[in-house]
Amino acid sequence: MKIKIVSIPVQNQEKALKFYTEVLGFVKKVDIPVSGENRWLTVVSREEPDGPEILLEPAPIHFEPAQAYQQALFDAGIPCRQFSVDDLEEEYERLQALGVEFSVKPTEMGTVKIAVLNDTCGNHIQLVQML
Amino acid sequence: MTYYHQELLRIKNHCYGNERQLRAVIKTRHFIDHNYDQAINLDLLSGTNHTSKYHLLRLFKRYYGQTPLQYLTGKRLIRARYLLKQGRTVTETCFEVGFESLASFSLLFRNRFGVNPAKFKKEQFSISMGSGVC
Repeated sequence: MKIKIVSIPVQNQEKALKFYTEVLGFVKKVDIPVSGENRWLTVVSREEPDGPEILLEPAPIHFEPAQAYQQALFDAGIPCRQFSVDDLEEEYERLQALGVEFSVKPTEMGTVKIAVLNDTCGNHIQLVQML
Repeated sequence: MTYYHQELLRIKNHCYGNERQLRAVIKTRHFIDHNYDQAINLDLLSGTNHTSKYHLLRLFKRYYGQTPLQYLTGKRLIRARYLLKQGRTVTETCFEVGFESLASFSLLFRNRFGVNPAKFKKEQFSISMGSGVC
């Protein structure tokens, strides 16, 4: 059994694709029309093109409990997913310059440094650097 | 400030108040990262931190969730996988990342990645040949 895909619920797939590729720097891997405007849409890390894929899933649009759950997490500032970075301060500066909002600025937590950003699609995302 | 941020600060004050301990384990991890291909043992690591080896072992496990040796082995195996993908032989890879025995390297690699290094290398070759054809 392998971990190939992890999903992130998004409220608008096109907007999410733009944010996750143009701002965060991921690369589109799979884009297949499913039904209506829905797509099977995944992105991968530029550094790990064969690594796990992130599925930008439009669940909150179609399933009310998914929307409620996403909203509750967002309101509490709880990250939906987290990504690893080599240099958090550098990434923080880069993303801030692109207009990304952070609810938690780079903060040391024991042997890691973390920050939390708003993905503009209904989620908080945590960035982590191992110290 | 969000609920999550408040919780982070609470946990930080509760769990990570000992700056000296943190610096010691972080220094140890960096030492392993930069010297994983050398003969590293607990005596050497504790010597660089001027602390007892059992104390260092406990601290490292507490803060990183694994022992220094487990961390070192993981580091070597990830590097080994990369070198095999680059086309190095199994023997070259084994010694280049710091293992001293082919048998233990093979066993640890298999336990970690589910396949022995020779088979992994062969699979990589097949994949690259396949992608070349397409």
